[in-house]
Amino acid sequence: MRIGSYELTLKKRETLAGWQAAVISTLAVVFALLLFSLVFVQAEANPLEAYKEIFDYAFFNPFGLPLTINRFIFLLLCACAFIIPIRAGLWNIGMTGQLYAGALSAFAVLFAFGVKGAKSAEYPGELIIPLMVVASMLGAVVVGTIAGYLKGKYNVNEIVVTMMLNFIMFWLVSFMIKDGGPFMNPGGRGESFELAKSLYAPLYKDVPFTVVLALGFALLLYWVFAKTKLGYQIRAYGQNPTAAEYAGISGVKISVLVFVLGAALAGLAGYHYFAAVPGVYKIARSYNFQGDLAFYGIICGLISQGNPIAAIPVALLFGGLTNGGRFVQGKLKLGFGIDYALLGVLMITLVAFQFFYRYQVVLVNTRKETPDE
Amino acid sequence: MLLDEIKRGDTVLEAQGITKRFPGVVANDKIDFEINAGEVHAILGENGAGKTTLMNILFGLYQPDEGELIVGGKAVKFKSPLDAIDLGIGMVHQHRKLVPAHTVIENIILGHPRAGTILNLKRAEEEITALSRKYGFKIDLRAKVWQISEGEKQLVEILKALYRGAKVLILDEPTSALTPIETEVLMESIKTMSNEDLAIVPFITHKLPIVLAISDRVTVLRRGKVVNRIKTSEATERSLAREMVGREVIFRVERKKVERGQPILEIENLSALSDKGVTAVDKMSFTIHEGEIFGIAGISGNGQRELVEVIAGLRKELEGKVTLDGRDITQASSLERWQAGIGYIPADRIDVGSIGEFSLIENLMMNYYFDEEFSRGGTLDYRKMRELTNEIIEEFSVATPGPETTAKSLSGGNLQKVILGRVLSRKPRLVIADLPSQGLDVGATEFVRNKLMEAKQEKAGVLLISEDLDEILSMSDWVAPVYEGVIMGILPGEAAKREDVGALMAGLELGGGAS
Repeated sequence: MRIGSYELTLKKRETLAGWQAAVISTLAVVFALLLFSLVFVQAEANPLEAYKEIFDYAFFNPFGLPLTINRFIFLLLCACAFIIPIRAGLWNIGMTGQLYAGALSAFAVLFAFGVKGAKSAEYPGELIIPLMVVASMLGAVVVGTIAGYLKGKYNVNEIVVTMMLNFIMFWLVSFMIKDGGPFMNPGGRGESFELAKSLYAPLYKDVPFTVVLALGFALLLYWVFAKTKLGYQIRAYGQNPTAAEYAGISGVKISVLVFVLGAALAGLAGYHYFAAVPGVYKIARSYNFQGDLAFYGIICGLISQGNPIAAIPVALLFGGLTNGGRFVQGKLKLGFGIDYALLGVLMITLVAFQFFYRYQVVLVNTRKETPDE
Repeated sequence: MLLDEIKRGDTVLEAQGITKRFPGVVANDKIDFEINAGEVHAILGENGAGKTTLMNILFGLYQPDEGELIVGGKAVKFKSPLDAIDLGIGMVHQHRKLVPAHTVIENIILGHPRAGTILNLKRAEEEITALSRKYGFKIDLRAKVWQISEGEKQLVEILKALYRGAKVLILDEPTSALTPIETEVLMESIKTMSNEDLAIVPFITHKLPIVLAISDRVTVLRRGKVVNRIKTSEATERSLAREMVGREVIFRVERKKVERGQPILEIENLSALSDKGVTAVDKMSFTIHEGEIFGIAGISGNGQRELVEVIAGLRKELEGKVTLDGRDITQASSLERWQAGIGYIPADRIDVGSIGEFSLIENLMMNYYFDEEFSRGGTLDYRKMRELTNEIIEEFSVATPGPETTAKSLSGGNLQKVILGRVLSRKPRLVIADLPSQGLDVGATEFVRNKLMEAKQEKAGVLLISEDLDEILSMSDWVAPVYEGVIMGILPGEAAKREDVGALMAGLELGGGAS
């Protein structure tokens, strides 16, 4: 494109610093919001007012903020569950199934201790809660390992396996909680029994302790990838499996390992949503809502390009927008699905802007090429 | 087409004062070049001398910053290779750009403007047959490309350019993937084509004998400048090498005498399958001692790759035994073999030997991450690793801005130096060097051979795999020609005759019977 004697051209980037990626992503978010204003205008809503409502509710409202934070914890764990295998070049699409397995395992611990819905009964929480956390991770690992092992040993496509396991786990949850299932609510209703109050996860200002685990794991993961032998082996395998095998890194081990670690975090996400978020404390009839939400974890992982620290703001943004978007739809009486549309536009814009990770726009003075001297 | 009316001896393509700058380098600095119809004018230069840039300018992939291209007496500007093709300039890339599942004919007419939407295969076949008869190409036009050899693929690329009406043929490293016999065939074809008034411009980094054999004139590039233009009849291999590198080059590495020590690697009755499930290594037995270079001579695809992979622990053996320093390592993992003292320099530097997106530090880590010294308690010691990287960059004279540079930005020769440095700095007991100088320029080849010779002097055993008979014969203490997975004989390096090794490599038995 020409403007006078200047020309706008694209130049390939040699390197991309962390702050540049952050600036580009921020611009992408701004651009997406501008773009989506058109939809608000078309729906006869004032975009400024709409965005104000969304962000107010998501990040400043005493009812909205805890919801946002709980979604954020969940999404961050799911994003990390996706990030670990993707750094080894493997796609974990099975956070849904893994978190169901995690939830079932946590409830199995309750079942073993005879918790069956008497809300006021006293149980030793300091023993049972840690057991539930550990069980949720282990249960998810069992499901995740299947995909990792099949991939590593027999080169069975991990996307298909994790996807299919999602279905299996979905129906297993159904079997366990619906009428006649072992985890059935004594009152029926197609949901699981509820936690006793003494087993609610410890809260700090309405936020469960799982926030510490999620943030801790994200930071830990960053360190593992940057500094440790294990992280190096995973990254080497992800970049070039043949070269990694040449260097003595076993593909089978890496495949199993990344799915074990990833699934463990997905399992924790399952514990978080079904046993730690205030107001839930059971596997509800609509448990597929949480399962579907896990897919946003994939998006967060992709947008943050496998960087667990970058996943923190991304997960927070998506946690807030899923929440505020739904709220504004009700408040301004907008059409159904406007919250999903907003997320969709945002995702596409973020991904499209990654073009600028590889290219930069430069302004060249074409006169300079023929110097006067 | 401008070049339709030319006669033998007319200048068909001319470059005047071509300059092309990239950030930080002047890749081409006022380069003049010309070629006449019926002439073979080779362009010679080391990696990084500016050959690729010049080639891309001649073919319209780059536009020069300064200077002019003149085709058939008229100044032209190429916006894209399509303009170059339309004016009669054809390009044969080093890496073949053919569709393996299609036939030769289909590949030749692919992208041809006359192919249109409905294929007239019959007419195309007639025309192409006539064309290949004219230049004496022997090629089955109906064979699928995956079935034909590298040499034949090269001819297909040439035919493709000719069928598009090329009068000037640019050949990028034309013999780099060819066996000696295929090279002969290609050289013959080049002669025929130049006799038919085509202008041919081969770009060559190494293999000076080929330049001497086929070209009429040579232009030597060094650091983006023309250092000499000379009639080939007045040049020698030595003079060309000196001009390319800028100093005297010793072609033959001096074979150092080293006392033969303990056996290091013993291979007993070893067999292995290829990826396709065919026997690739067939009951091989040999022993490598300390201070010895054991050279396996053979054309690629005769089981060398599989043999090396079995020794390195990357492929399961079918039967037989591998012993390292008296210890049976047949069942050991590749990691255990690295730790036991095997150092493997793979033939494929890009897909096996390095990780393109990783920095040089992290590439060096590939052979060090498992050492206690560099990974205490599971965390990697990047500071120590950076020091080692700097040492290796220094000692192996790797041309790079620094240890943080990615491997993919290095040239082939520099990447090989990094890999060589990485493996040899471990002071391995056994060095496996698979095609160590393949594709390297003269200077780098000399360097690699000297380093292997040093390893031998330090009492390592070296397993050298090479297609280059000169390399094998000048370096090895023992020469073992292979043919279809069988070791055809083990000859003492100093006494081995070139003809004998060549015959054994081709699967012929020697009169007296091989030992």
